[in-house]
Parts: sequence; structure tokens; C-alpha cells
Amino acid sequence: MGRLFPTQEVGSLAKPTWRVKGYRGERLTKEEIAEAIGWGRKLGIANLDTFAKLLRRKDSAKKRKTILEWSAKYAIRFLETAGLDIVFDGEQWRSEMYEHVARNIGGFEFLGQVKSFDFRYFNKAACTRKPVYLRPFYVEEFAFTRDNAKNEVKVPFTGPYTIVEWTFNEYYEKRLHGKVADFRQREFEAKRDFIFDLMAEVVRPEIGKLVDCGAKWIQIDEPAATTDQTDDEMKLFVESFNETVKGFNCAFSLHNCYSNYEVLAKYACELRNCCQLALEFANRDGKQLGTGNVRSGYKELASFEDNGFTGNYGVGVIDVHTDFVEPPQLVRDRVLHAAKIIDDPGRIYVSTDCGLRTRTWETSFQKLKNMVLGAELARMAF
Amino acid sequence: MIGCYATGIFPRPKELVSITRDYERGRTGEAELDRAFSDATSRVVEAQSSAGFSYVTNGMLRWQDPLRPFTENLNGVKIGGLARWFNNNTFYRKPVVTGDLSWKKRADPKVADIEHLPENLYWKAILPAPYTLAQLSEDNLYKNKTELMFKYARLLRERIKDLTKQGFKYIQLSDPALVYKPRTAKMSREEVKTVGEALKLAVAGASARTCLQTFFGDFSQILPEVMGFPVDDLGVDLYETDVDRLKGYKFGKGVALGLVDSRSSLVEKVGELVAVAKEIIKSIEGNGASAFFVCPNCDLEFLPWERAFEKVRVVSRVAKRLREEFDG
Repeated sequence: MGRLFPTQEVGSLAKPTWRVKGYRGERLTKEEIAEAIGWGRKLGIANLDTFAKLLRRKDSAKKRKTILEWSAKYAIRFLETAGLDIVFDGEQWRSEMYEHVARNIGGFEFLGQVKSFDFRYFNKAACTRKPVYLRPFYVEEFAFTRDNAKNEVKVPFTGPYTIVEWTFNEYYEKRLHGKVADFRQREFEAKRDFIFDLMAEVVRPEIGKLVDCGAKWIQIDEPAATTDQTDDEMKLFVESFNETVKGFNCAFSLHNCYSNYEVLAKYACELRNCCQLALEFANRDGKQLGTGNVRSGYKELASFEDNGFTGNYGVGVIDVHTDFVEPPQLVRDRVLHAAKIIDDPGRIYVSTDCGLRTRTWETSFQKLKNMVLGAELARMAF
Repeated sequence: MIGCYATGIFPRPKELVSITRDYERGRTGEAELDRAFSDATSRVVEAQSSAGFSYVTNGMLRWQDPLRPFTENLNGVKIGGLARWFNNNTFYRKPVVTGDLSWKKRADPKVADIEHLPENLYWKAILPAPYTLAQLSEDNLYKNKTELMFKYARLLRERIKDLTKQGFKYIQLSDPALVYKPRTAKMSREEVKTVGEALKLAVAGASARTCLQTFFGDFSQILPEVMGFPVDDLGVDLYETDVDRLKGYKFGKGVALGLVDSRSSLVEKVGELVAVAKEIIKSIEGNGASAFFVCPNCDLEFLPWERAFEKVRVVSRVAKRLREEFDG
């Protein structure tokens, strides 16, 4: 990346109504089709007549697949039109970061909905036998993005530690039953066995295919990294990252959000082959302009430096959980503040805190445009 | 005496999950949501009563998180951002204390929903303990967390009084923060004693059986001070506790044995749990323990409804077997 403060996405975008209903085989209203075409014009997408015809067509497997491709094309162009330097497809092919992967692994069985918070739930699976690689689950999506993106591509990849943390571990706990008397020790050993089998059987084979297909940069998403903050667990997380990425001719980064960064910071310097930590800060920060004390949301960034992390940072400057559109000046000040802490502006990538999937496309677009404008303002200070 | 009961929030059955999602997306209204909560509460109560639970809860299905009735119904508290609920993939809204705390005049009555609790059974209410409430709050007002803990204790006392008036016969105070200490140093004996004093303030004069339920951590860390706590029963998470270290202590209280793991989808074998329970009961019974309750180690809401329901039956069957053995 040649210039200071490259801008990047770190996760998913919302799925437009035409994508959701179209993929479910439901009929779209005139307004929904008009909205799809309206965004297409805004994003400069070609062959919109063909697309409109497709949306009106009867449901079929072929139509569903084509809708996935169109939604990916829209999302790529969305991010590029907003001006981002590093893009993906807003994860339009994936139902959700966990379920998409879990559905493609042999040995996983979905047990039902479990509360995440309030009225939000996730479909939690149990691992009931040794994980088996059934089919590639990111490769086709990546190849499509590679062929359709003009800008640099970074592939988000749900990490093994998080998949294991979010899955009931029936197979490995049963296997150790009676062998390890202490329940806590048994649980830990079962988790460790699960992670390493999942990595060997599923995660690394998929990474290998992505790299063979031309992936140059893979972002390992590990939101669960600091769920259990004991030393043993954090070391296990580090080991799982290092073993996941070992030996591939590809750049790797880590995305983690809504976590305890004081804890993560202590272990981040032990991550090998991790070119960037993409972290969430805007959510913790105030809205007033300026650098220094007013930027309290960024205080943990210093901990990563103090603990010796030497890679780059994807600095979250856009809060994805609010409709408040950060003005470019606020983005600028957050970037400049981070640059002061790190004392090397060349190590900063300008990011959203996490994926924008809970915001509308209108809000996300404004937020991203302002992020790009803010990065430009920050460049002017150097 | 051997009893059994639930120790926290139940999972929402599938139909309720679906309606809460529709409600959030504006596809269904308040009345449908309320009806769905009501129907599901009936199911949860029925599951407990048919399992022969000694005390039944309303399942707390409406509780968005274990602190929310406090976060939403207290003056002086703002609903903060999402924070992780200990080492789980579940989140709660941080109570942010900005003003002097007091109960709002019109607190949500649905929180202690008694509509579905059968008159012929004993009712159990579950509330967060003062220490956990204080530890998980962001405090911008009080001198320190200890002062906040005592403030919460006073507020709890009012709530407990109301609940016993309503007819609740068992009050559980959940205190995961007291034993969850993965990284920080062990609490000093003085600190544990202070927690006991706050607890005394909360439960003093309560005309119900009381319990301090600990989970997500090792109960043996707070021994022996916890023995002096002014509650009738002490709850132990047996999946986190070094059981050998419980032996030899003079309990002098009832013990709630968190024998069923709410965080694992594997359904425990009754025979194995009975064997574990028998060993514990025998090792501490002689030291004056007055009663034992078989229960899940924590809230069953970490499981999908069907699996939680199976675990309710395991709790019931283990209690039945133990009763045959010990109560004759």
C-alpha cells in the first residue's frame, strides 16, 4: 500500500431485501425491485435490465445462485464507490459468520437457537463426531470477488478458536469421559483437541484452497478470543492462530472486537505472521472533536504498543452499532490520535469497528464515505 | 432433606424466539409478544411442576439479561453498552450509575410475573446478589464499589420484601462475580466478609428461605468466610469447584448442588450424577448440612429449549434417586 492511512472494510454488510427474499424464493414487490435498480444506478452497475428481469423471474436454484453473485457484485461496488482501498463482498454469500461455516463441516449438528442478547439469538451447533471437510465454503465467493473487484481484496475467515468456542463440544468431551477426572481439565483438553482437529481437517485445507486460488491476504476473525481470559486459554488462542496460518504464502491479520483489549494486548506480540490487528475503538469513544484526553476510547491501543506488538493496526473509527454518521473531522481526529499513540502513521489502516451488517445501506454508505474523507483529512496533516 | 429446583433464566422456546424476532423487526405487535411470553411461561412452569421441583420459578423469560430488571427499573441508572456475561458468548447491558439509586415508582410488574405460578406449589424468585450487581456496574457516583454494593443491598431488601409479600417462599441471590476470578488475585478474607455484611442487609428479616448461588467459579475460594453468610443455603457450581476442598467444612446450612451443566449440551447420566452427589452429601452431611438441593449449575438459557428441558428431567430424576437413598 503506497499511501498513508489506507481504508478498509472488516466485515459484513447488511443483505438488501432483494437478496434476502430473492434467495428465499419469495416474490419481490415493485418497490423492492425499484430499490435494487436505484442502488445499481448509484453504484454504476452495468446490465441492470438483465438484473431487473432476473428479479421478476420465477424461483429456481439457478436464480438463487445468480442473486448471490449480483449481491456480491453490488457489495463490492458499494465499498469501492465509497472509496475504500481494501474490499471484499460484504459477506453476501454467507448466512452469518458462524452458521455459514458450521453448515459446511461434517460432524456438526445444529441444536437450536441460543440467546446472544436481548432478542438476538444464534443457531448453535454441537460437534458430535470428528470434524470432516465436506466442501469448500469460502473459495467460490473469493474467486468471484477476485474477478470482480478493482481494489485490493482481503478475505474474512472465521477462526477456529471462535468456531469451537461457539459450538457445544460433545464429541471430544465424551471421548475424554472417565479419562480425565477433573472436569475443568477435561473441558480444556477437549477444547484443545477440538480446535486442533478442526484446524487440521477443515480450516487449513480451506486456507490452502484460497491461497491456491490467489488469496493474498486473509483476515482471521476471532471475536471469541478473550471469552475466557485465563492464561491457559489465551495461550491456547495464540497457539491456534499461529498454527492456523503457519506455512502459507499469504498475509494474515486478526480481527477482534467487543473484547477485553487489556488482556488481548498482553498476548498479541506472541501472534506470529499477523500483519495487522483490526480492532474496535469507535464504540468506546466519545463524539467530540480533538486528540488527546478526549479520545478515551483509544486508550487500550497504547497497551498493544506497551506490550510489544510491532505489526500494523486496523483502527476502528466508525461505530457500527449506531446510526450516528461520524463526520470526517471526527474520523480525522481519531486517526491522528491513534497515529500519536503508535508514533508511526505508516502502521495505521483506517477501518470500521466491525462489519456494518446491522446498519442500512444508506447509513453504511454515508459512514464509509466519511471514513474515506476523514482518512484524506488525516493525510493532509502529514 | 433432598429437594430440587432451577437456578436461573430458562431458554425461550422456539416459537417465542421466532415471535421476539418478528417483534424486533416490526412484524408483530406488543399484544402478540405478550401472549407468546405468557404461553411460554406456562410451558416452563409446567416443565418444573411435572418434574416435581420443590420450588418453581416463572422461568424469567422476559428478562433480557440477569441484571436488566435493575438496569431498567432504578432511578439513577442508565442502560449502557453491551458487555460480555463472564466467559460466555452472551451479553448484558452494563448498568451505568449516574445518580442516587432508588426504585422507580412504576417498576415493570412483568419482571416478577406470578400469573402462571400455581398456588399449590412453592415459588422461587431469583435476583442478582449485591456484590455481582456492583461489580458489573459502571459507577460514576458512589465513592467505591463497596458503597455501591451496600446501596444495591438496600434496594434488594425492598424488592425481597415485596416478593415475599407476593408469596415467594424461596429467594435466590445469584453471585457469579464472587467466585469468577480468572486473572485477578484471590479476594481477601476481609473482602469476602464485607460481601457477607451486604448480604445480611439484603436478606435481613426476609420471611422466605434464602440462598446465595455461586457459579462460573470455584466456591472453595471463598471458604471458610462464606459459611458465616446469613443465608439458609449456599449454591455450588460443581463444574468449576474443587470438590475435595469442600470436604471437612462444617456447613451448618443447606447446599444447592449445581450437578447439571447448563453450558454443555451433553445430557448427563443420572447414575453418574447420583454417585457424585452421594459422595459429596456423605462427606459434608455429618458436618451439619441441613438440606441438599439438586439443581443446574447456572441459568439453563445457555442451552436451546429442548436440551434444557431434558436437563430439567435429569435434575428431577437425580433428586428422586437421592431422596430414596437419604430421605427413605
